[in-house]
Amino acid sequence: VASALTDRASPAMATYTYTSRPRALPCQRRRYRDNLMQPAEEPVRYGNIMYDRRVIRGNTYALQAEPPPGQPDPAEIQRRQQAKRRALAKRRAQEQLRPRTPEPVEGRKHVDVQTELYLEEIADRIIEVDMECQTDAFLDRPPTPLFIPAKTGKDVATQILEGELFDFDLEVKPMLEVLVGKTIEQSLLEVMEEEELASLQASQYAFEELRNVELAEVQRLEEQERRHREEKERRKQQQWQVVHKHHETAEKIAARAFAQRYLADLLPSVFDSLRDGGYFYDPVERDIEIGFLPWLMNEVDKTMEYSIVGRTVLDMLIREVVEKRLSLYEPKEDRQSPPKPEDGLGGPGGVRDSLVDYAFQDHGASPAQRPLPDRDSPPRAPHDGRSVEGVSSQEGRPMEEEDEQTRKFLGREELFQ
Amino acid sequence: MADARISMYLPPDINPTQAAIAYGCRALPKLNEELQSEDLVTRQKALMALCGLMHDPEHVYMAIHIGCLENLKALLKDTNDMVRIKTTEVLYIMATHNVGRVGFLEHDVIRALSFLLNDPQSLCRENLHLAFKHLAQLPTGAQGIVSSGLIPSLVWKLQREEEGVQELLLDTLAACLMEDATEALASRAVPFLKEKLLSANSNIRSKAAGTLIAISIPLEGKNQVWKHDVIPILVHLLRDKVAEVQANVAGALMNATVTTEGKYAALNAEAIHPLLQLLCSSLSKARLNAIKALTMLAEAPEGRKLLQAHVPTFRALEKDTSAAVKQAAQIAIKVIEWKP
Repeated sequence: VASALTDRASPAMATYTYTSRPRALPCQRRRYRDNLMQPAEEPVRYGNIMYDRRVIRGNTYALQAEPPPGQPDPAEIQRRQQAKRRALAKRRAQEQLRPRTPEPVEGRKHVDVQTELYLEEIADRIIEVDMECQTDAFLDRPPTPLFIPAKTGKDVATQILEGELFDFDLEVKPMLEVLVGKTIEQSLLEVMEEEELASLQASQYAFEELRNVELAEVQRLEEQERRHREEKERRKQQQWQVVHKHHETAEKIAARAFAQRYLADLLPSVFDSLRDGGYFYDPVERDIEIGFLPWLMNEVDKTMEYSIVGRTVLDMLIREVVEKRLSLYEPKEDRQSPPKPEDGLGGPGGVRDSLVDYAFQDHGASPAQRPLPDRDSPPRAPHDGRSVEGVSSQEGRPMEEEDEQTRKFLGREELFQ
Repeated sequence: MADARISMYLPPDINPTQAAIAYGCRALPKLNEELQSEDLVTRQKALMALCGLMHDPEHVYMAIHIGCLENLKALLKDTNDMVRIKTTEVLYIMATHNVGRVGFLEHDVIRALSFLLNDPQSLCRENLHLAFKHLAQLPTGAQGIVSSGLIPSLVWKLQREEEGVQELLLDTLAACLMEDATEALASRAVPFLKEKLLSANSNIRSKAAGTLIAISIPLEGKNQVWKHDVIPILVHLLRDKVAEVQANVAGALMNATVTTEGKYAALNAEAIHPLLQLLCSSLSKARLNAIKALTMLAEAPEGRKLLQAHVPTFRALEKDTSAAVKQAAQIAIKVIEWKP
């Protein structure tokens, strides 16, 4: 139950105020309480204001003077009637007091007259005039004036003090880091490049040092090798020469010994062989051999040659005769046909014989022409010996030759044919 | 907090002499195209940008892959000095990387570079010789230089170039002569080197001695060195103040005294004493070369006699820090104490 607050200051003002907290009104379900001992323990049922009879619903202005359905108060009625009468009377009195125009005279009528300067026609119809207004179509619209809205709101000012917006040192740090970092990085790169080059150079220097030394060592060893080898070669050569000489000397000694031995019995054998060779000769014997016997042979030769020459001449004579005869008999013998095979054999034999004949003839002719050179050189001796032979063989043959002459010209026939 | 405001303007051009380098993998192809452009300024800017990029070996590889070398070869014949200088600089930077060197050999850049040997611009020639020097560090590169017939012209140039370039030339020649020294010997390199040995500049002296080491490796070289009487000069230079010069000279002696004539020439020039002093040098290379030279001289009987007194020094060197020196000392002792 809300407590009602009364205004404690009211006695001076003589007003009554009543305030209460808004509360929902409970509805009266039971008119009579069941038991008195229960003040408000069961839940209080509140009534819905929408269905409450006491709340006036609908329009309220038509209900203003609704008399109550019970008996009206007679005093009340009288008071009202009196108030009415008084009001009426007041009104009548006021009407009477008001000045009015007097009544028109007889035969006249009051007419309304206008007394202004300009007469107005008074009619029921209201005078209407149409007016229209239009802005000039081509008039430039002036620029809209700058709209500055009216300042609304409160003016507030602010001041940025040192260090409030940002902290410079903190902010500048990343930027500085980047700038300085990049610069240092670039310079470090350059320095590192130089350092790298320098260290490469240094290592190269060390390497070159070692390499040069190694190379020199290699060359020195090569040189040493070469010299030692050459020295060895030379020594070997020397040694070999020594050995060679040694051998040679040994051989020479051996050869000398052998030669001595070999030639020990040289003298006797020399003498023997000389003797065998006929170098120790008996002068008389030699003389006979050299002088006498060749002369003798030459003489014999000459004699033989003479006889041969004679026979040759004879042969020539015979031949000429035979040839003459042949040339006479030839045409007759042409008719005789058969060549006999022995003739063939005889033919070449005949040729050979004729050649031998010619040689013989030449041979025969030349000793006749030549002066006797018989005693000359021993080489002639075998030649003469041969010619002697030839002569001796020819001696045996001329008999056969004469027998063959007849066969020969038959053979010659063939040749000439 | 600060907000990221994207500016309406392009970023300021920090280096107007360099062409703008495109992002990522477009950088090199774009520069390659710019190299071929007709406009001189574009070419120069592209070259400057390329110089900066070529320090990275991956870029070098990319550049060779897309054929930059052809354009660079064409630019070597350009009339403008700046273009030529920059092109030679780019080529020199590329030659410091192995990829670049291999690319040079494949694309026959040596011949194109050789046209610039007589270029009026000294910077151009210097870059050219730097490129050759780096190329010669690679054995196949040195072979390439030799087979392109440049050695006689390089030897001839030795007389005419200024000192800095002479040093580069000597380096290049030293590397090339390790490969093949016949052409150099034929073009009178030994007398030139003899003159350089007497130069005032210690760098040149040491490098000339280094080149002599290389040239006296083949037998013909040793003979020429002996014939031109270089050995007495070398012995004299053993007393030089600069350690590097001493080391290289000892090396040259070591190579030249392999032949018998060389040995006797050195002994006649009293080489043993300075070499013995060099044994206490601080530079390990000097000690090593000195030991080797003394070993050579100990092969000869006179040398052996003289050195037998100094065997203790060699024994001390056997305990040296460097392994090579130890070994060399052992060999030297063996040679000195050898009996036929």
